[in-house]
Amino acid sequence: MEMEGASSSGSGGAAQPTLLPSRRSKVFYRFTQQNLPACKPALTPTLVITIFLLAGITFVPVGIICLRASESVEEHVLRYDTECIPEDYRSNRVAYIKDDSISKKCTLNIKLRNQMKAPIYVYYELDNYYQNHRRYVKSRSDKQLLYGLQYKDISSCKPVESSNRLPVVPCGLIAWSLFNDTFTFDVKARKLNVNRKNISWKSDRDHKFGNDVYPFNFQNDTLIGGGKLNQSIPLSEQEDLIVWMRVAALPNFRKLYGVIEEDLDADELLTIHLSNNYNTYSFGGKKKLVLTTSNWLGGKNNFLGLSYIATGCCSILVAIIFALIHVKFPRPHRDASYLHWNRKSSATSR
Amino acid sequence: MSMHWDRFRASTVRLGGNGSASLRGTSFGDGGLRHTSSQTVRLGRVQPQHPSHRTIFCNDREANQPVRFKGNSVSTTKYNIFTFLPKGLFEQFRRVANLYFLMISILSTTPISPVHPITNVVPLSLVLLVSLVKEAFEDWKRLQNDMSINNTPVDVLQDQKWETVPWKKLQVGDIVKVKHDAFFPADLLFLASTNPDGVCYIETSNLDGETNLKIRKALERTWDYLLPEKASELKGEIQCEQPNNSLYTFTGNLIIDKQTIPLSPNQLLLRGCSLRNTEYIVGAIIFTGHETKVMMNSMNVPSKRSTLERKLDKLILALFGGLFFMCLVGAIGSGIFINRKYFYLGLSGHVEDQFNPSNRFVVTILTMFTLITLYSTIIPISLYVSIEMIKFIQCAQFINKDLHMYHAESNTPALARTSNLNEELGQVEYIFSDKTGTLTRNLMEFFKCSIGGEMYGTGITEIERGIAQRNGMKIDETTSATAVQEKGFNFDDPRLMRGAWRNEHDPEICKEFFRCLAVCHTVLPEGDASSDKITYQAASPDEAALVTAAKNFGFFFYRRTPTSIMVREANIEKMGSVQDVTYEILNVLEFNSTRKRQSVVCRYPNGRLVLYCKGADTVIYERLVDGNNDIKKLTREHLEQFGSSGLRTLCLAYRELTTEIYEKWNEKFIQAKSSLRDREKKLDEVAELIEKDLILIGCTAIEDKLQDGVPLCIETLSRAGIKLWVLTGDKMETAINIAYACNLINNAMKQFIVSSETDPIREAEDRGDPVEIARVIKDSVKQYLERYLEEAQQFLRSPYGTKLALVIDGKCLMYALDPALRVSLLKLSLNCSSVVCCRVSPLQKAQVTSLVKKGARKITLSIGDGANDVSMIQAAHVGVGISGLEGMQAVMASDFAIAQFRFLTDLLLVHGRWSYLRLCKVITYFFYKNLTFTLTQFWFTFQTGFSGQRYYDDWFQSLYNVIFTALPVIIVGLFDKDVSASISKRYPELYKAGIRNTFFTWKVVAIWAFFSIYQSLIIYYFTVAASPNGHNSSGKVFGLWDVSTMSFTCIVVTVNLRLLMACNSITRWHHVSVWGSILAWFLFIFIYSGIMTPRDRQENEYFVIYVLMSTFYFYLSLWLIPVVALLGDFLYQGVQRFMFPYDYEIVQEIHRDDPEESRRQLLEVGHHLSPDEARSYAIARLPRETSKHTGFAFDSPGFESFFASQAGVFAPHKPWDVIRRASIKSKHRTAKS
Repeated sequence: MEMEGASSSGSGGAAQPTLLPSRRSKVFYRFTQQNLPACKPALTPTLVITIFLLAGITFVPVGIICLRASESVEEHVLRYDTECIPEDYRSNRVAYIKDDSISKKCTLNIKLRNQMKAPIYVYYELDNYYQNHRRYVKSRSDKQLLYGLQYKDISSCKPVESSNRLPVVPCGLIAWSLFNDTFTFDVKARKLNVNRKNISWKSDRDHKFGNDVYPFNFQNDTLIGGGKLNQSIPLSEQEDLIVWMRVAALPNFRKLYGVIEEDLDADELLTIHLSNNYNTYSFGGKKKLVLTTSNWLGGKNNFLGLSYIATGCCSILVAIIFALIHVKFPRPHRDASYLHWNRKSSATSR
Repeated sequence: MSMHWDRFRASTVRLGGNGSASLRGTSFGDGGLRHTSSQTVRLGRVQPQHPSHRTIFCNDREANQPVRFKGNSVSTTKYNIFTFLPKGLFEQFRRVANLYFLMISILSTTPISPVHPITNVVPLSLVLLVSLVKEAFEDWKRLQNDMSINNTPVDVLQDQKWETVPWKKLQVGDIVKVKHDAFFPADLLFLASTNPDGVCYIETSNLDGETNLKIRKALERTWDYLLPEKASELKGEIQCEQPNNSLYTFTGNLIIDKQTIPLSPNQLLLRGCSLRNTEYIVGAIIFTGHETKVMMNSMNVPSKRSTLERKLDKLILALFGGLFFMCLVGAIGSGIFINRKYFYLGLSGHVEDQFNPSNRFVVTILTMFTLITLYSTIIPISLYVSIEMIKFIQCAQFINKDLHMYHAESNTPALARTSNLNEELGQVEYIFSDKTGTLTRNLMEFFKCSIGGEMYGTGITEIERGIAQRNGMKIDETTSATAVQEKGFNFDDPRLMRGAWRNEHDPEICKEFFRCLAVCHTVLPEGDASSDKITYQAASPDEAALVTAAKNFGFFFYRRTPTSIMVREANIEKMGSVQDVTYEILNVLEFNSTRKRQSVVCRYPNGRLVLYCKGADTVIYERLVDGNNDIKKLTREHLEQFGSSGLRTLCLAYRELTTEIYEKWNEKFIQAKSSLRDREKKLDEVAELIEKDLILIGCTAIEDKLQDGVPLCIETLSRAGIKLWVLTGDKMETAINIAYACNLINNAMKQFIVSSETDPIREAEDRGDPVEIARVIKDSVKQYLERYLEEAQQFLRSPYGTKLALVIDGKCLMYALDPALRVSLLKLSLNCSSVVCCRVSPLQKAQVTSLVKKGARKITLSIGDGANDVSMIQAAHVGVGISGLEGMQAVMASDFAIAQFRFLTDLLLVHGRWSYLRLCKVITYFFYKNLTFTLTQFWFTFQTGFSGQRYYDDWFQSLYNVIFTALPVIIVGLFDKDVSASISKRYPELYKAGIRNTFFTWKVVAIWAFFSIYQSLIIYYFTVAASPNGHNSSGKVFGLWDVSTMSFTCIVVTVNLRLLMACNSITRWHHVSVWGSILAWFLFIFIYSGIMTPRDRQENEYFVIYVLMSTFYFYLSLWLIPVVALLGDFLYQGVQRFMFPYDYEIVQEIHRDDPEESRRQLLEVGHHLSPDEARSYAIARLPRETSKHTGFAFDSPGFESFFASQAGVFAPHKPWDVIRRASIKSKHRTAKS
């Protein structure tokens, strides 16, 4: 017995090294002879119908869930750029916004429809504002934002790289055109606390904006684009700026302004005190204020839910149509008479 | 030996010839001779080299030194170390796509560009790198080839001794010794040989593909210089023409001891030939290295581009058009958009031109350039290099290693010599084939015979076997004990063998039959006079076969003297007895194409006078004596039977002569023979007088042995919609015969024959006025063509679907190819399912090929084995050479080399078809994926105020083509197959899709483009529309780069999955590459956005993917968007397959449940007869009434030259050599006038 075991293990040991290359050469053989094992998916009508049905069945519920999530979000959108212009300036809005001597204060009211659970997010929304314009996007210096004045090469910031022969920190058009409308909220004559911290992505705060870089020579030129910055706060804590500088993908965008961290009841009247500083009148852009709650999916956006449902429904519809056609006018599967050459010969024989 | 030659890279021989070169040669011949004969006094040792000829001092290196003849080393490399980079790069930038990307790269370094230069430089340099590595690798292989040839050893005379040196050390004037079977290292002047009479045998197969031996004879004056001691005494001077590329001409003089001896090609041994049947020879080197005739003939193989690639150029052009359109839209938009009112863009004050609202036109122009760089991805830069890689692997791994195309007997695998044309193999519609060596083995075997109305021979021809197989009959091949097989004889019938014929009912006629075979011929026996060792030297292999047959029947012809033939006859008187009989040969009436017969008048030892005659049935039957109708009728039936089974027949007859008749005739014969004018004609006339009242003996049937599997292959090809044309230098009868044997022509077909062998033409030729001859032939050809065209149209309109065949000979073809008649020739021949051109020169072969190639715009393939096929091989879209034989010339000129004709089935139906499908898929997919990608960018442009802002990060864009989507498409290009190889061959009709170019039409491209637009819209708008609201519970919003990364992720996933959907078979490698590519993207983005280095440009992308992945938006979109994008394609595919299935899809369905078979097993699957075929076979088996095809064919190529070369006289080798010279001369004359 032992002898046998020994011999068999010996032969096994001898066989193993030869086994490996032979397996490899077999694979190579199948490769050169183009005979690799393969699965051959054939789109049979059954398969097509199944896949469409499957897509429909999985998509519709997901869509419904998304839609419900989106619907559960309370959202109030208030366009204020038109409201906040005094009557006599309605015909000449640009003059109004450019005139510093006029007070830009403005008060508006919203009546809440339903209860809004904290946190309530406050966004401002701009329209027709091309933050994604090439000239705009590239007019910044990421290095300067991180290293401040140490970083000298700020040619990319043109045309706002320096004023009065001194470099500007933060330089570039994006920073220069910082949004500077401000909002405060009263409810029942009580001022609501708007948390303006932690409105930017943490990665931006920690890694893109230096914590020892302070604004310098900012908005000191004759032309002033937008908001000013507190020179004593490092950039990494200027969250307005950080939010603003993450340029939006579309000319119509929302940016987070702050968070109201208390619940608001239904039918409550919310008074908004805002200063309407930012000029969107010259290019006809809209300004909106958005108050919204949020859930796992995010804010109110029916798009995902609707498209899931639409896709699912279409798939089911297609599956049904296809099934009907298949039943009504079946193409006999595996029928050689459908082959091109056979069809031709039958045509000529007729 | 031949292996060695393989390495020699004499790429091509231009046999068509460089007219001026050979003209120069001939004109020099006269001048040179005159020059040297007048020159009696030599002025000095070193003469200035005359511009028109060179002077060489034999065995005297110092004297040759001042002239600086080129050395004998040969280099075929394209680059050296220093030229590699500049030259290689130059070659690369000759490609439009590369040049375009170079320009884009340069453009992207300017501020106009929205993208960093890296976006375009990275892919471009990767592409260039891959291409250059490939070039270097190929050149390295060439270098190694050259080195091994240059270092081949050879013996050279130095100090009265033979020294072995490598070839490259040889110099002009050296005396070398070449041993048996060795190759000549340079062009040599033949001085001496070990054979007694200064003769050596050479094989020229490398030059002209002919495998028969040629005889070269040294000048008598130099015979002695054989041993080194003696040879070193040689102090001669050779004056000869300058190097040229004419293989068959050479003129010069050898001056020894002030004696001038003219030299002819007969003393020239060309590099590339090899020595045979001779122990060794001694020769002086005349031309070396690149100046040898074979190298002068070699030229770079004109690189062919496939039709698909040319169509691809159009697609690229269309893409350029699309690019221009997109840029124009964007540029105009930007001109309109730009406005000072967008104060945040800082447009007041000094603004650079591109954004200056006060000059909108400049803005438009500059934005145009911006957008060109931005959208440059629309041109798939890696397309060409991917295609090259795919094709290269297809060639090197698939075609070259396919066991189905491996010929075990000759140990020859298939060889793809260029990798450009793989997919062209999938679209071939016309095949032009040489006959000898390609369809046939050039091996004549005595196969059957009919003696006195009795048929003998039990063999079955290939064609009969084919018919039997198709009818499901099984044929047992049993070889009986009496069967003898040797070269030229493959016959078995116990009734005749081993003397059994004596028991037949009429042994006398059998005896006549055998004697006729043994006596009536022009064969020379060689070697020992024993039946095993003797070899027959015959002008035509038919004759050798007949004589061999006689030997096997017991009539052994063993010796010939000018006046007699000696035959060792066995079993005449009684079994086992042997006696030598000498027949006195009184007259030989030779064979020629008008007589179509050959006669011998011989006298038996007992004084009996007999005329034996063999020839075509038509001429023999005319001359038969009345009576004996039974035998005549039976023999005719047999002839027809032989003929339709593809055998070559000859009728044998004899006539007893009385002395008076003979003497009377002989006088006339001698008179005719000695006449000075029209001797040939008079001889023919005299022959007529005696070749009459013949008694029919019977007929012979010789099998022109086909290559294995030829009829089956031809049938398969014809089912695949491929039309085969046979172009051969043979006679019309031979050609028709082979066409029958190959089943190209059968009796059910209507044959159109255009022949120059008609009475009016012959008459005109007799009159001899060349203008008149031309006119007559042209007229008759025109009439033929017109009449046939009319008939052809009638046949095509008729409901029976009769197939048509055209047979045309070279002379008529010359006129039919005239521009005036070319159109009708083309029309007629395209209507014919098979065409046979006989008696054509190599040039005409090429002309016919390009007629179809250019005139009909069909894809053509030429296949041949000899040097005479070179021009045809080069003219066709695809050239295929038959390899494994000795001749390499055709292979050297070809694009693919296979060992056997039948491998065409695999090459075309399997590899060609697959390559075509794959390449189509690869190209359309490349088109689609780049278009989709670029279009998302385009849609984004609309929402950025047409500013040309990039949507994607630079690295995304540059790696999109080279990493994230590169590998899967290559895998598909390698592995995709619709149906297995065996099914491809079982349904040859599938090939028709390639001929029609179904898979790469504008319609197909449009469908891909449509779905590309659809998908890009879905991907762009869905990601964007779903993105605006804060998607994280902490309410933060996405910026531009978050959204674009989302889009890019969706694109990578969609595009890769789309490829998987397009596959017919999905192997493990598909999965590995597709999922690997997607994974590669994620890996890349994880790393790329995860780290931040001081010197990078990815601040934008920093942490983006992590931010994205922390939201549900990411997962929901990633699931939704690719599915929606792909459902459209899926629906289309489903509908298309359901409603308008492609043929291959139905075949897939039919064979879906077949077990994963190994290919070998399925090879045995028999053929199913379609109703069509069944009918045509039924017709083929009907009693034959229309056919008069009896299969006469008799080859005597170069009949005169054979004897001439035996006698040491150089005669032109080829009919076309003469034709060519004639045409050159006439051209010359017209040029002068």
